[in-house]
Amino acid sequence: MKKIRQGLARLLSGPHGMFWGSVLSVILTILTASAMLLIMGKNPLIAFNSFLQGCGFVPKAKYGGGGGMLGDFTHFLSYLTPMLLASLAFIAAFKAGLFNIGISGQMLLSGFLATVLVAYNKQLPSALSRPLVILVGIVAGGLLGALVGYLKYRFNIHEVVSTIMINYIISYLTGFFINNSYVDLMTRTSRPCPPGARLTLTKVVIGGVNCVIPMGLGIAALAVVLVWFLFSRTTFGFELRAVGENSHCARYFGVNVKRSVVAAMGISGMLAGLAGVTYYLGYTNTIIPKTLSAMGYDSISVALLGGASPLGAVLAAVIVSIFHQGSNYMSSTVGVSKEIASLITGILLLYASCVTYVRAICDRFLQRETHGDEAKKPEEVKAS
Amino acid sequence: MSEYIVEMRHITKYFPGITANDDVSIAIRKGEVYALLGENGAGKSTLMSMLFGMYEPDRGEILIDGRPVVFHSSNDAAALSIGMVHQHFTLVENYTVAENIVLGKEPVKRRFGLLPWVDMAQANQEINALSQKYGLAVNATDRIEDLPVSARQRVEILKMLYRRAEIMIFDEPTAVLTPQEIEALLKIIEDLRSDGKTIILITHKIREIKQTADRCAILRAGRLIDVRNVAETSIQEMADLMVGRRVSLETHKSPSSFGDTVLCVEHLTVKNEQRFDVVRDVSFSIRAGEIFAIAGVSGNGQTEIADAIAGLMNAAAGTIRLNGSDITRASIRERASSGVAYVPEDRQKTGVVLDFTLQENLSLRKYHRPPFSEHGVIHRDQVRKYAQTLIERYDIRSGQGPDTCVRSMSGGNQQKAIVGREIEEAAALIIFVQPTRGLDIGAIEHVQAHILKERDRGAAILLISLELDEIMALADTIGVIYRGELQTIAPADGMTANEVGRYMMGVKEA
Repeated sequence: MKKIRQGLARLLSGPHGMFWGSVLSVILTILTASAMLLIMGKNPLIAFNSFLQGCGFVPKAKYGGGGGMLGDFTHFLSYLTPMLLASLAFIAAFKAGLFNIGISGQMLLSGFLATVLVAYNKQLPSALSRPLVILVGIVAGGLLGALVGYLKYRFNIHEVVSTIMINYIISYLTGFFINNSYVDLMTRTSRPCPPGARLTLTKVVIGGVNCVIPMGLGIAALAVVLVWFLFSRTTFGFELRAVGENSHCARYFGVNVKRSVVAAMGISGMLAGLAGVTYYLGYTNTIIPKTLSAMGYDSISVALLGGASPLGAVLAAVIVSIFHQGSNYMSSTVGVSKEIASLITGILLLYASCVTYVRAICDRFLQRETHGDEAKKPEEVKAS
Repeated sequence: MSEYIVEMRHITKYFPGITANDDVSIAIRKGEVYALLGENGAGKSTLMSMLFGMYEPDRGEILIDGRPVVFHSSNDAAALSIGMVHQHFTLVENYTVAENIVLGKEPVKRRFGLLPWVDMAQANQEINALSQKYGLAVNATDRIEDLPVSARQRVEILKMLYRRAEIMIFDEPTAVLTPQEIEALLKIIEDLRSDGKTIILITHKIREIKQTADRCAILRAGRLIDVRNVAETSIQEMADLMVGRRVSLETHKSPSSFGDTVLCVEHLTVKNEQRFDVVRDVSFSIRAGEIFAIAGVSGNGQTEIADAIAGLMNAAAGTIRLNGSDITRASIRERASSGVAYVPEDRQKTGVVLDFTLQENLSLRKYHRPPFSEHGVIHRDQVRKYAQTLIERYDIRSGQGPDTCVRSMSGGNQQKAIVGREIEEAAALIIFVQPTRGLDIGAIEHVQAHILKERDRGAAILLISLELDEIMALADTIGVIYRGELQTIAPADGMTANEVGRYMMGVKEA
């Protein structure tokens, strides 16, 4: 028992402790969720299998017309794409010591502007409108992020405060315009984005199965590599990290801290903007007025679950997306409401957010152990 | 009655990762001045914190007047007439002297025989009487925030006397004082002893022990090395025992040869965030091969001078010229690349990024230039190679070499890394602020030797230190600062430590 405890502590406080901590959180989440399902009288194995089936990782028992495993999987990828971009947005700010909880607002504004300015413009050929959608997303998100950075730089307004405020402003402002000018009278949401401008190709038939092709996935993959490269290989990323870890020292060795804050928020906003266009002009294809997407907040947890590293975020985004995307099918097979998926995600994030604390405890535990050994040594010497 | 008023037997205390005290036994006679000598981290403060009830020992026992006692808090210790003056004073800034002293033990009267209220008139009277009796010049109704450090210390001593402490622990009491104030304090300690008090003095300054203490316990790495009669032990012997090897108490400084003026500061005024002039109209210049030291009591504007020259604070007025060119408005990086290196005062807050690796921290001055980076991309093999060179050259000890997280390194090695990094710039001007604070003797020797070597190379050196001994040992020229103004500038060999001390207290005509 003691050996296990020591081994676990060593694993968690070691150099890859963040990774193992996240793995442990996932395992604990599955155990906790299983306990909950058992209490409700459901079979947890079937439930978890259904989550995977719903995302096309495991074949379902039977498929309807045009349905298939590949179709489910591509739908899953279509959700994964904005989730990944949004968590990269959080990471980019977080590395520079900034807590961007305005990702939802940045997503919404870019999605709205891209929809209104580009997608609804019927004269544009789709070869032009798709790149324009992406461009508008990047620019709108980037400018909004930079504004938050500027407010901090110029007026010392904390980014958490300003982003919460701005989230509301954007939510109501875009809601107002959608309700007045762009609403679809049937759905009460914004008119759907025409297929030519949409970043997800729909009704693609591969081997008799209806699939969707999220074109943003390539951008997301590229963004993972770029963010990783920025922070681990470039002088600019080095400076941003120094500002995040110790802005006093960064200033001392010649970094323009204020400009770095604006730049980091700008980059974060650009990624959030990309998440916004792939979400509103890809995954949902419409905007619900006066509603901020939960994804903007979930992405924070995904980023933290992934240890604020781009590669970790990929794994974390996959896991959280499975719970989200698989919840409908799970709900129908097991017969529990699909909100259980949100509950599971919540539990996962709760465990994940404890990882740093648990690692600190492990450190202390190991120190006490090794120290206990040292303390024993003199007596052993005397005895011998 | 036991022969000893305090006995600590076989005391062992663990902290995570270290054994702070390892089987330490000391016995203190009533009415003696007992010194605890040791380097930083030797365990002297921990030992006394246990006597004052702030920690409980993991093993061993404490006897007061021959009776074993267990302290759960410092209140228990205070009840047995033990008092302590901490290194960092524990005073309420906006209370008066008397209010601070009686706090927690107020003389209470009852109004209408019912309502309790603090009788400040009586408190003031009592305290003025006490301060007269022991020659501790303070006024009971002054506010703490208006008092200089030395007076605050006297308030702390009065606090112990008011609580009728018989055993008084002083933790590094002279660290913040000028030579004159140190003399005065040592006199007070002698008066207290002749009044029958038992004094325990924690310090790493041997000269003061030699001057006042009767016996001296020497601690090294948590262990008791020896207990000596001070009268029969030489300063050299005590130093060797403290460090565990032969140490040289003299710094070997070659004769000075000055070159052209490197740094020229004229009428410099610096304002802090509260728009208050912390540096006022300061002018001085430093030549190549010269160590210009600024002496002064902490908080008189000396670090702000350094920050203004390095560019971390703006000059509100005046000019700063480096090798003839005006850098008053230059950015921090422009100054660094035109030849200003800076070893800052707060090494953990300013000097390093604690959670970066050693190689990243060593590259802070270089990463943006070839060969360490090109087109904004860092060449990590170059950074690593450079780090390895510096680790060897400056004897920086760390667990995993270039990949060590700097947070896990000792303060001495962090400082070696900073000093090495700044020296490697081969800058025309190197600013050292408190370069040896908190280091053990080995690291102090190391850093001081490097400062002298850079001077001999021909660098202009600005040394800002609160340790007057260090300034007297290293400086070619001394400027003394008081309330943001330079009181005097004179060659080091033309001034004694006492003269410098008088200027530090603002006496213009020394």
